[in-house]
Amino acid sequence: MAGKDEKDKVTEQAGAAGPRKLDRRDVLKGLSTVPALGLFGYAWQKQRQYQQATIEAAAAAPVASSDLQVINVALLGAGAQGQVLTDAMLRIPGLRFRAVCDVWTEYNQKRVVNQLRKFKHDVNAYENYREMLDREKELDAVVIATPDFWHSQHAVDCLKAGKHVYCEKEMSNTLEGARAMVVAARDTGKLLQIGHQRRSNPRYLHCYEKLLGEAKLLGRIVTLNGQWNRAVAPDLGAPDRYAIPEARLKQYGFKDMHQFRNWRWYKGLGGGPIVDLGSHQIDIYTWFLGVNPSHVMASGGQLFYDPKTHEWYDTVMAVFDYDTPAGPVKAYYQTQTTNGSQGYFENFMGDQGTLLISESEAHAAKLYRDTNAPAWDTWVQKGYITAPKVQEMKEKTEGVTDVRESVSPDEHNVPVVLRDPYHQPHLQNFFNAVRGKAKLNCPAEIGYESAVSVLKVNEAIEAKSRLSFKPEDFHI
Amino acid sequence: MPGAADGCGRVDGPGPRVGAGADRGLGIGGPRELRDVRRFSHEAMATVFEVQGVHADARYAAQAAQAAFDLADRLERELSRFLPNSDIGRVNHLAAGERTRVSPSTMECLVIARHVFDLTGGAFDVSIGTGLPSLELDPDDFLVRATSSGVRIDLGGIGKGYAVDLMAELLEEWGLELALVHGGFSSVLALEAPAGRDGWPLTLSDPGAPSRVLARLSVRQTALGASGLRKGDHIVDPRTGEPARGRRAAWVAVPRPAAVGTEARTDEGPRRAAAAVADALTTAFMLLSPGEIEALCERSPGLEAWILEEPAEGRQGEASLLHVGGSDPGYTSTSS
Repeated sequence: MAGKDEKDKVTEQAGAAGPRKLDRRDVLKGLSTVPALGLFGYAWQKQRQYQQATIEAAAAAPVASSDLQVINVALLGAGAQGQVLTDAMLRIPGLRFRAVCDVWTEYNQKRVVNQLRKFKHDVNAYENYREMLDREKELDAVVIATPDFWHSQHAVDCLKAGKHVYCEKEMSNTLEGARAMVVAARDTGKLLQIGHQRRSNPRYLHCYEKLLGEAKLLGRIVTLNGQWNRAVAPDLGAPDRYAIPEARLKQYGFKDMHQFRNWRWYKGLGGGPIVDLGSHQIDIYTWFLGVNPSHVMASGGQLFYDPKTHEWYDTVMAVFDYDTPAGPVKAYYQTQTTNGSQGYFENFMGDQGTLLISESEAHAAKLYRDTNAPAWDTWVQKGYITAPKVQEMKEKTEGVTDVRESVSPDEHNVPVVLRDPYHQPHLQNFFNAVRGKAKLNCPAEIGYESAVSVLKVNEAIEAKSRLSFKPEDFHI
Repeated sequence: MPGAADGCGRVDGPGPRVGAGADRGLGIGGPRELRDVRRFSHEAMATVFEVQGVHADARYAAQAAQAAFDLADRLERELSRFLPNSDIGRVNHLAAGERTRVSPSTMECLVIARHVFDLTGGAFDVSIGTGLPSLELDPDDFLVRATSSGVRIDLGGIGKGYAVDLMAELLEEWGLELALVHGGFSSVLALEAPAGRDGWPLTLSDPGAPSRVLARLSVRQTALGASGLRKGDHIVDPRTGEPARGRRAAWVAVPRPAAVGTEARTDEGPRRAAAAVADALTTAFMLLSPGEIEALCERSPGLEAWILEEPAEGRQGEASLLHVGGSDPGYTSTSS
């Protein structure tokens, strides 16, 4: 209390000392209206470059300029995620779709084939991926968006057939499967990118490189929390008339149409919401903190949905420990599937500030500075963050404290906007790497480390105890 | 903190602008009247979408409705001007000479919007006077090119209707043919009627006096759009930039292509996505003169409109309803 009183006194004296000076907010407010390039030059330039690249990309499609190496691509898995990836790839220049493979030939396969033909890609349709690999000799790359329990076999076989592979997360539903993928990528020398697409998102890259790396705006990060809450929804169904015959379902590892559509909820096929949703964000925890976790404890349950058709936990709460070079960190993560409150975000909390970031362009990223932390003016002037949102301040009567509604802390935005579909930069990174013009942002080894952290959560729930990671767990 | 949203990257906060005024003016017969009808609703595009349908299997009907709602969410991610990485977000950022690729549905929606712009002499304008003709649409390669900077697209006056059209097609694919879909009651599309009925019961009511029902309709294979103004609301005429006066509400009925036996796609214009067209026309019909509206209805078989004029300045009395066009057997109407 003594400390606080002293501080208040200092503030009071400053307030009484003659005419009101411009405070930092005023200066920043003034600066932010000056249309000088130097002030926000960095962010402006960075955004501009990124946008220019994507505009050129769009302008180049569908006919790539002659010096751009055309990449022959196949899509393996044409479900909801395969369609999202296709949509993003249609905006990337220099790709030629050659084939689409999906066991749901009656519906999803047709839908994607029709879509690609609209865009003048002459594609062949396959039910069986081996047949596709046998016949499509010219393929350079395969993009895999099949159910998790197929990832390992699909990726390994594609790599061994000499194709570069982009594979959706979770890399595999088992660590053995994930290991086999890392080994196959090493043995074949082919590229394997795992679909943790935030790693290529320009806003996440900016936060990682500039705000945490260079400016260290948060000071010492001690805790973080994150979540993906999703509103209640019925199980996925399928139009009756397009049901897959039972024999074919069995052939591909599904006991019925319900399981085929809702494989994410079944043990042995998927990993439940913690893997489907949490995986993306726990990957960001590790990336931003720079180390893998040391421990995890978790609680989860089948609280709401029918446990017979929802074998995995519909609700999961987990706490990770990280031993970072700066000190220990506790990281909370929650996912539940019965109420979409607050959506999805990751929130990094340091002694000097907070970074609240979401992949959603509707929410983007916000920064809050602790009132005692060093000023962030330099970073505002460099264009790393925007000037704070300034409260409407009425003129004060000199020396008298005006009691009023509390003033919120400074809120800064991150001036980097993604103008493309969410998965496009990560796919672009993969295809740039295929052309030898970039390094993968999420190669197999990184995907594996992430899988080790995430799959352990389900294990910890079952074990009802705190589990530890050894550093060697993360390496092959 | 991120606002309330489900996990699908849905926009919250301000949604696409509602064309003219707000979502009101169309009523749908309640559950008491339609006992065998299952109802499902979902928030998207800053309003509530609803699927009403008849199906023996409750779970199947819920799954079909959910698939339709997922489609509405996808369309919102493509069409919302509030999302920087939507197709429209990107189009709104084009400088002169730049182009960008959009999805087939975004392109189709833009083509319909452009078509209605031409049909109505610019009274329906998704660019709100910023220069729709400066956008070149290339539907073969799904490219949008801006010939000048500063064009700002807002699909608020057509996007909900377009979503309703595609949702209805999806429900038919699922075998849910006895169904009705609407986006915030302002864009309604009736498919086949529940057994024993000749159509879905709808009412048109005075936005200034909601208890005053102006017409009762029984509708099948038809889209209805509504625009209305409450006291204090106004609508800007994109042709002049001035607020328009004198009209309180407009409703438009457009038969689905199958119902009038036309091909889904003709050479002359885009596919007749009935709800998208109804949604767009209703905005224009808040502004066009009765003569212009009559001329349009004459040229388009089945097109029907109801216009609620404000009483003349200083005069007491109820707003008067003008009923134009309508020769389609797909529904019956009784004014009351």
